[in-house]
Amino acid sequence: MAAGQIPILRIGTTLLATIQIELHDTVVDSFQNDVLEEIEKTGAKGLIVDISALETVDSYVARMLANTAKMAKLMGTETVIVGMRPAVAATLVRMGYFMEGINTALSLEEGLQLQARQSNGTVE
Amino acid sequence: MSPPGNQDDTGSWEIRIDKEADIVAVRQQVRELAKELRFDQFGVAALTTAASELSRNVWVHAQKGVARISMLRNGNRVGVELEFVDHGPGIADLDRALAGGYSTAKSLGLGLSGTRRLVDEFNIDSQPGRGTKVVIRKWKKEY
Amino acid sequence: MEQGDGENVEFTRLTPNLQGGPMHQARQPDYMEILKLDEDELKRRLAFYELTDEDFKRLKSLKSFADRWTNDIIEGLYELIMGQPESRAFFPDQATLNRVKKLQNSYFLGLFVGTYDLGYVRDRLRVGMAHERIGMPPKLYLGAYRRYLALIHARLQEHFKENASEAAKALDSIRKIIFFDMALAIETYIAAYLETMTRHQAAIRELSTPVIKVYDRVLLLPIVGTVDTQRAHQIMETVLVQVVEQQAKVMILDIAGVPVVDTKVADHILKTTAAVQLLGAQTILTGISASVARTVVQLGLEITRMHTRSKLSEGIELALSIVGKKITSKQDRSESEGV
Repeated sequence: MAAGQIPILRIGTTLLATIQIELHDTVVDSFQNDVLEEIEKTGAKGLIVDISALETVDSYVARMLANTAKMAKLMGTETVIVGMRPAVAATLVRMGYFMEGINTALSLEEGLQLQARQSNGTVE
Repeated sequence: MSPPGNQDDTGSWEIRIDKEADIVAVRQQVRELAKELRFDQFGVAALTTAASELSRNVWVHAQKGVARISMLRNGNRVGVELEFVDHGPGIADLDRALAGGYSTAKSLGLGLSGTRRLVDEFNIDSQPGRGTKVVIRKWKKEY
Repeated sequence: MEQGDGENVEFTRLTPNLQGGPMHQARQPDYMEILKLDEDELKRRLAFYELTDEDFKRLKSLKSFADRWTNDIIEGLYELIMGQPESRAFFPDQATLNRVKKLQNSYFLGLFVGTYDLGYVRDRLRVGMAHERIGMPPKLYLGAYRRYLALIHARLQEHFKENASEAAKALDSIRKIIFFDMALAIETYIAAYLETMTRHQAAIRELSTPVIKVYDRVLLLPIVGTVDTQRAHQIMETVLVQVVEQQAKVMILDIAGVPVVDTKVADHILKTTAAVQLLGAQTILTGISASVARTVVQLGLEITRMHTRSKLSEGIELALSIVGKKITSKQDRSESEGV
């Protein structure tokens, strides 16, 4: 089992998951499991997924991230993807994958600020 | 560079795709080659992502196939060619597969149209029941 | 013989990020590769110039003619070159002239060597390259070849005396090989020009995407001129890199200087905006003229969903408010400070 390969830290009521390894099926499955378990355990209101180490995000990974955000949302948790690299953004958009509806932020700090604003109900 | 597949003298590699982890192997090999040839970050990302999409197609639809990665040279232009061959079910409606975006029919979900936009040359040959062959090429920007 | 390899053909990009220090000169490109001169191409060319074994035999047999007359012909050639001020300018001193005459001598004798293979071709290319490098224009270069042929013709008639048909055959073979050589020489000029153009285009492109920091975390890119696909790609890439590097929250794209905004251009703008959003930043599009606004809506383009403003100044104000700042007039401030 590839459990725990992606570290998940707690910052207040936010969980921070930092993806630093190549993603494939077993890693992805355990990542999603771990995240949801942590949300359940801690009652986290926010999830930040740091993808600054990812050089390649293909449609599989993009879908995975979107699905993870959807799963988290069902449990009442808002997700923000942070640290996307310029080449990753360009490639996704060129492929036609705009990832609408996904919150993104430039950095962890920005992500936390965004979540604070969201939980105060000041962001649409 | 220690390629996971076989490298022959002409600067090309062959990687078998018969488990999901092989997608990662193909991706890594392509990334290394693109970086060595000094593609810029956008070129590396385009090639690596295209390789990832196409190897995943082989894995998901045929469970078995092969990726061939080679260096290209034309005058003073440098490029990469990727070939993906499988003997899977093949694609019946190529036009549809090439036209669709990600928002369309999940059943196809081949992402071929997206991948095509990342490269300079895109060739696909597919026969239902016989298999599929996709060859793509990307050239380094010439400055 | 230089092998064409990846190293040989790398250029150093002209970027504003150079830390100083010497700029590398591009290494001499391999023209054999650029012109795709391989065995097949050589065969094709020899065929088109109708150079046969008979010609090669004849040329070889003319070696004694060449040895006898080479100095005379070279002198005649440089008489023309030095007699015209424009061409004379390329040979400013006696040393240069002597060196060049020597090279020209071996070039002339080379016509009669009898073996016309890729080695011969490479040699001829070097001659063209040398002339291109000193800046001699094709018109003079070709003019010199004409003079060559005239001088050779005269000497051939002398050499073959009454045998006019042999003289004609000899001239024919020589003319074929000279035209063959001229083609190669001209092509090196073309290849060199193309490379210069490409390098200049790159430099222009770099300069044409000046991302300006208007304020902390607010960037501005004025886009001026037509936006083709290549430029659009470059704009997106520069914008994305700068947004991350500067951790910009807002990117202002001013299109007042873009002459035509059609579906394609709008698509490029949309993609760039979408990509900026994926990074976690916002885009404001400014410089929207009345006609662009009309066109966009008439074409049903989706840029109505973005932040847009007609004037750049309004865009800047909006950007500042997004980062929590506001422009106030000095009078207001001094009043509120009770001065």
